Amino acid sequence: MSQIDIATIKEKLGYSNDIIFKEFQIDYGGNSRKVNLFYADGLVNTDSVQDFILETLMVEFPKLNTNQHPFLDLLTAGEIEEVTSTDTMYYNLFSGHVILIWDSNKILSIAMNGIKDRAVSEAMTETVSRGPKESFTESIRTNTALVRRKIKNPDLWLENMRIGKMTQTSVSIMYIKGIVSDKILEEVRNRLSRIDIDGILESGYIEELIQDSAYSPFPTMYNSERPDVIAAELLEGKVAILVDGTPHVLVVPALFISFMHSAEDYYQRADISSLIRILRFVGIFIALLGPSLYIAITTFHQEMLPTQLLIGLAAQREGIPFPAFIEALIMEITFEILREAGVRMPRTMGQAISIVGTLVIGQAAVDAGIVSAAMVIVVSITAISSFVVPAMNMSISIRMIRFALMGLAASFGLYGIILGIFALVLHLCSLRTFGVPYMSPFGPFIAEDTKDTLFRLPHWAMRKRLRLISQNNITRGNNKPPGPKR
Amino acid sequence: MMMRRILVPLLFVLIAMTLTGCWNRRELNDLAIAVAIGIDKDGENQYQVSVQVVDPGEVAANNRTMTRTPVTFYQARGRTIFEAIRKMTTVSPRPIYSAHLRMLVIGEELAKEGIADALEYMSRYYEHRTDFYITIARETTAASTLKILTHLEAIPANQMYSSLLNSQKQWAPTASITLDQLIMDIVRKGKQPVVTGLRLRGDREKGESRENVEKIASPAYLQYSGMAVFNEDKLVGWLNEGESRGYSFIHNDVHDTVGVLNCPEGGRMTIEVIRSKTTTKARFVNGEPEIHIGIRTEGSIGEVLCKIDLTQKSSIYELEHESAEAIRGFVQKTIHQVQEKYKVDIFGFGDVVHRANPSYWKSVENDWDAVFQKMPVKLDVVVNIRQTGTVSNSFMQEMK
Repeated sequence: MSQIDIATIKEKLGYSNDIIFKEFQIDYGGNSRKVNLFYADGLVNTDSVQDFILETLMVEFPKLNTNQHPFLDLLTAGEIEEVTSTDTMYYNLFSGHVILIWDSNKILSIAMNGIKDRAVSEAMTETVSRGPKESFTESIRTNTALVRRKIKNPDLWLENMRIGKMTQTSVSIMYIKGIVSDKILEEVRNRLSRIDIDGILESGYIEELIQDSAYSPFPTMYNSERPDVIAAELLEGKVAILVDGTPHVLVVPALFISFMHSAEDYYQRADISSLIRILRFVGIFIALLGPSLYIAITTFHQEMLPTQLLIGLAAQREGIPFPAFIEALIMEITFEILREAGVRMPRTMGQAISIVGTLVIGQAAVDAGIVSAAMVIVVSITAISSFVVPAMNMSISIRMIRFALMGLAASFGLYGIILGIFALVLHLCSLRTFGVPYMSPFGPFIAEDTKDTLFRLPHWAMRKRLRLISQNNITRGNNKPPGPKR
Repeated sequence: MMMRRILVPLLFVLIAMTLTGCWNRRELNDLAIAVAIGIDKDGENQYQVSVQVVDPGEVAANNRTMTRTPVTFYQARGRTIFEAIRKMTTVSPRPIYSAHLRMLVIGEELAKEGIADALEYMSRYYEHRTDFYITIARETTAASTLKILTHLEAIPANQMYSSLLNSQKQWAPTASITLDQLIMDIVRKGKQPVVTGLRLRGDREKGESRENVEKIASPAYLQYSGMAVFNEDKLVGWLNEGESRGYSFIHNDVHDTVGVLNCPEGGRMTIEVIRSKTTTKARFVNGEPEIHIGIRTEGSIGEVLCKIDLTQKSSIYELEHESAEAIRGFVQKTIHQVQEKYKVDIFGFGDVVHRANPSYWKSVENDWDAVFQKMPVKLDVVVNIRQTGTVSNSFMQEMK
């Protein structure tokens, strides 16, 4: 390697003052060698630099009198590599390595990561009452370790790539060799390698850049911040994409039905899980159709209501100046504003907003005669129902489609709602996620795979993996119904 | 490809939107919810149509003013019923919405001239369902029955509806009839229609104001009383209470009723019918039809006002026999009365004959009423008493 000019490096780095340069001579083997050492302050552990590099070089080396270059062995750091390209050198520098230039012609990169990571903490978005509480952190290394700890098998493979021309973000593909379908894996590799972007700051970037059907409101990639969920998905033969800097790990292929499942479904007993899933589907229907059914029935199909209910609803609507559709729209939008404010606002303001929210959305609006009490009930139950969808991204899709269905209901009644559902089902059935039909195992129907869909059979009854996803090795285990040995 | 994936479903939706049937967007507060319609005759070729409309604010659980009545009343005249109903918009601020109709009341005067014309509109208009009950305003006009305020049920039409439903279930001498059944009975030759009558009792003036519900005992009230016998669509007479009960037994309409018996040694007692089933069959004797009615009734002892030892099997047997005779008595009387006085087959014997012997039916179909008048009817009544209530012998046995 040619002469390395430390001045060029300094200039390239723009004399940024968080890059610490150190230059010194060591007498060693009778010769005096120049050592240039630099690192990004904050990314490396300065104590370690002091103890393991500077001390070794400045104190131990001069005591030696061999002519060889033993420092590679003597430096008491785990990960030392010789770097030949300046690109790698910069990448390593910002990954928390100490760069050591020996005698102006040899670049050594010594891993001394010392960045303060957030500790592994409890999952914030996907909470369970039974099951592991830990969640991923921002560090990709911690995240891979969390998964490794769950699947202790050499077949758990990891492929690394750097995406983002500026950010050089580490992205890892994780899968279980032998279970994963090679076609899906190849597709993931291809799509990732096609990405051309300056920066990746969250896995959402990757998702938008590689998903199927970019114009569909439905997510075709699953994400989770729970290591146990990712481990379960890997065991089903799916591929996980870990992105450095975010606790949200992507999983492909993602079937529609998997957005309706929660981790806890697998930890509780099968019967209660199945009932809760049914409840969840009821909730999803309410979240999707609640306001539109109310609009359709009260403005088009009054004959469908029992007389007493009709009179009750009519009484509430007396004096309400807006049509039911506008009324619903006002309440829905008010709720969405409150919800968004609740997420965005500093935590300490929570109390204030909930008081104002309850007053505005509830009592005051009814008392003022702007909306009817029945509408408040409908909107509230719809809002609560939309939170039973375990996956946030699916619940957002449902909320968006709800507004479209409300419009259809307001102009065509139940007929419009049916049309909307028709279009929705057709659309869902046309979607694919990394080559797998989105609606499987319902469209195409695979009876064996429906054991873990609308309800969950006990673990001993689920003997096969999803056929369309894991095409290689589909047997999970051969259990018989448990009990004393017969 | 992308364009096709968007355009094709869009086209599908647009085409589908043109396929909508009869629908109409109406807000709830743009409707005058009609719960009862009354139809009367008004001179030659004129109908007077009255509608009872709910004032929702006065019926709902809260924010009642308590000064306005829960229902209001609109009336209009017209050469046809539809014309009259549409003419009502000249007095009503909202169009009449009649999908939630509970009662159709027809004035007696109109019923005597024929109700077919009135039912035509009711069966044709798309808003009407066929689940409302039909009744005949007896000795009054339909309009005046729609103006009486009621207790318990704020909406008088609901009171009329529930009262008819429950009296049929618990008392028997009334029969609920819906539009489709009535029309079927009118056109069928083997069964003539019977419609329960509705009487307006008490002080009519007071009944029309809030005063009627401000008193514990309403000064005016509506009561179901008797059944109107029709010959096709024309009212020909009324069955009294006993005859109505007989009709209910023959028509297998008895769910639960009570009957008063005379005790063997004087005094009275009440038997509650808890189950009753009637089977009607036609037999042919020498080519002439004969009707066999089998009534199987189960009852329990409801009230004992006489000396009788209910712990003895024999007295129960005796009571069973007595009640069977009682039922046989009023059923027989009903049949005779109808055969001799009204001369129309309201029991549906014609249908039974038709089912038993279609070719014979063909020959008498057009002259069925004449055959009906002379037709012998055999009765077979069996009563089983299953329970004596919560006590066996009455405490009154020990008083003396």
